[in-house]
Amino acid sequence: MSIGRRDFIKGGVAGWVLTQAPMANAWAKASSVKSKKIVWVMLRGAMDSLHSVLPLADPNYMAIRKDFVEPIQNKLLPLQQGYALHPSFKNCHQWYQSGQFLPVVAVASGYRERSHFDAQDQMESGLNATDYENGWLARAVNELGGHGLAISQTVPIALRGKMDSQTWFPSHFTASEDDLLGRLRKLYANNQEFSELLESAITSRDMLEMNEQKRKRPDFSYLAAQCGELLNLDDSASCAMLELGGWDTHNNQVGRLNRQFKILDEGLAQLKESLGEAWKDTVVLVTTEFGRTVKINGTKGTDHGTGSAMFILGGAVKGKQVLGEWPGLSDSQLFENRDLMPTTDVRSWKASVLHQHWGLSAEQLLRVFPDVKPMLKTVVA
Amino acid sequence: MLSSQAFIAANRFGYGADQTILEQAGTEPKAWLLQQLDVANIAKELASFDNAWSSKTAIKSMAIYRQKKKQDKVNAKKASMQPSMQAAPDDEKMMMLNSDSIQKQMNKSAAKSINLTIAHQITTQNPFYWRLVDFFSNHFSVSASGQIMRALAPTLENEGIAPNISGYFSEMLVAVESHPAMLIYLNNEQSVGPNSKFGQRAKGKKGLNENLAREILELHTLGVDAGYDQSDVTELARAITGWGVDNNAKKNAGFTFRAGFHEPGKRRVFGRSYKSGGVEQGIAILKDLAEDPKTAEHVSRKLVTHFVSDQAPQEIVDQMVSIWASTKGYLPKVIEAMILHPLSWSETPEKFKTPREFMISTCKACDIKRLRPDFIKSLTILGQKPFAAGSPAGYKDTQEYWAGPRAMMGRIEWAEHASKFAKLAPMEIATGALGPQLNKLTQLQISRAESKQQAVTLFLMSPEFQKR
Repeated sequence: MSIGRRDFIKGGVAGWVLTQAPMANAWAKASSVKSKKIVWVMLRGAMDSLHSVLPLADPNYMAIRKDFVEPIQNKLLPLQQGYALHPSFKNCHQWYQSGQFLPVVAVASGYRERSHFDAQDQMESGLNATDYENGWLARAVNELGGHGLAISQTVPIALRGKMDSQTWFPSHFTASEDDLLGRLRKLYANNQEFSELLESAITSRDMLEMNEQKRKRPDFSYLAAQCGELLNLDDSASCAMLELGGWDTHNNQVGRLNRQFKILDEGLAQLKESLGEAWKDTVVLVTTEFGRTVKINGTKGTDHGTGSAMFILGGAVKGKQVLGEWPGLSDSQLFENRDLMPTTDVRSWKASVLHQHWGLSAEQLLRVFPDVKPMLKTVVA
Repeated sequence: MLSSQAFIAANRFGYGADQTILEQAGTEPKAWLLQQLDVANIAKELASFDNAWSSKTAIKSMAIYRQKKKQDKVNAKKASMQPSMQAAPDDEKMMMLNSDSIQKQMNKSAAKSINLTIAHQITTQNPFYWRLVDFFSNHFSVSASGQIMRALAPTLENEGIAPNISGYFSEMLVAVESHPAMLIYLNNEQSVGPNSKFGQRAKGKKGLNENLAREILELHTLGVDAGYDQSDVTELARAITGWGVDNNAKKNAGFTFRAGFHEPGKRRVFGRSYKSGGVEQGIAILKDLAEDPKTAEHVSRKLVTHFVSDQAPQEIVDQMVSIWASTKGYLPKVIEAMILHPLSWSETPEKFKTPREFMISTCKACDIKRLRPDFIKSLTILGQKPFAAGSPAGYKDTQEYWAGPRAMMGRIEWAEHASKFAKLAPMEIATGALGPQLNKLTQLQISRAESKQQAVTLFLMSPEFQKR
């Protein structure tokens, strides 16, 4: 799947890149390009694409995922080509209908193992081998001559590079989410002392929260809203990175994803609202490190897989289409007989956005993503 | 092969393991701990560590600050009497800014000094030495309340405690009780003997302050139930009248003995008599108190409770008390008795880390050199802000104090936050810090975590990392 630098140039893709959109105009007004924003939302923990963008037209899908689909079957949000969005994506579906949202199915990075950490690092680095001091978003914004912003305490790998990136995070800590607390319960399973400490800590916190009605948590919606505001305030910040964890649904996936998708959907709506006018010049990329197993596991969840989906949305997007090539779900069509087979590289779609939205040239794209070529599809209106 | 004893040495008696420490602790962990208390070694350690903030500088800055402040007031008054002058409000502002900026500078220097110590503790090759400094700094706790104490508090540890770990307890005791930070914190610099020259002139308007004397007996030496009574407190208070602080920026700027404040006459404290005299009278009492078996028992039990177990094994304490008696409270020998005792090396870690130990060991394990919020703010969030125990008794040293529900949730949230600063691979961090003490279940949960950050959080919150 990865294509070397030479193939990229030989393949004539560069020619397409340069002729598809008349970039000279945009380059003459570099500042107007800089006002075009890219927001990257990294979903940590591996989102199950088969439950977010449901391939209802696939003949094998319902048989394999019946237990997961039945509880939401009557509320699914229809897309083209027989796909449907999970009912929690209310805002995304509205944007889809107004041409500002498009999902890409069956994507993956260049990574083919199943470790969250390695996969996330590599996705942030955007290279075939992780370089911890060299992130894809930093390289891209460097080509543009702007700078990046991370909604984070520290500079994430994606924004590490030659130039300094800014970070912003509220000074109070994020309240630990139920997922982490659940994992701590497991960690303390054989230790009565720590189990009791944890339970009393949770009880006390919950009581406190009931009393204070709404303890201000820097949750995803809040961070997304702040992200939009900061992008509006700072002219030279051309891109930002947001993160959302909680996708590692090894058990009780239906309920957990109902909530997770809602958190994501509402956060994206907050981002749109706070961006205001700037939304029309914004492309939001939502990606995850890998997908999950096609089959349901023994605890009503799914395990680490390979192919997943990504979302491209925003006022600048040519939405109302489902992109990506569907590989099928029969046993022989799966990756290693268990995972959704990735048919395109996440980086290729990102490259297309960088070209079509920021006007990066073929040569510049090679410096950002030396291992892939951009997709020949129109994703930015 | 690395023994589990090397890891116990690094964790229970230090801030955790790293490659160099494990190599040095290696096969002789006890010897490794004890050589850290060697006089020459400590001198070298302190020389390598340049902490410029001193009580002298603090007192001098304070004197200038007070002077400036007075001047600011005069200027403000002048300005208000000349309402026609348009520029007055700005002048006033600028003058205020001047004393303000001195104040800011002082607070910044004191905070820097604290942060510097912590940063040093993360990487030091003498972690046991520094754990002892932390212990005695809390034993002789001073709180940074009020401007002068904010500036002075950290200097007590640097000047009174750190240079005196490798010596007699009496030496440390005298250094601490005569240190400006302690004298001001417990008001002894205002204590006046009623029959002293100054006391007689003041005609009852100035008198004795027992604050420091009481805490010396109750907290620093004998312990609350040792059998001393009010007359011992009063007698000790009389003996140390005149122990004060010279605030003159141009002169000594430090401890001074004011003979004019000193209560004349013989003293009797805890069954012993002391002839009349000046500063040497108080020193003689402190020396006897330092060598008293009750003090030996009190301080030894606190040491064992701090390092080994909330239920300090009496056998270790007894051993230390007997060495205390035979060496007149020579600290390296007393501490050696604890280190050589087999009960100090139980395979089960029994001590729940204090927030400070938790924070420093976290930074060490994850190779974090800088935190945001910084060390002081992190400790504030975790409930153990340096020099803010708010009581001369210092912070408590047992699990029920640190593992309350709120504190526990705070620890989880802080761990989740701090883990963002960790760059190493989670399993590498975990095995590097705990070696054979790392639990199988923890390994499993680390490997199943959904992100690097979450994996590190789980490791930091694992029972085997929370305890030492």
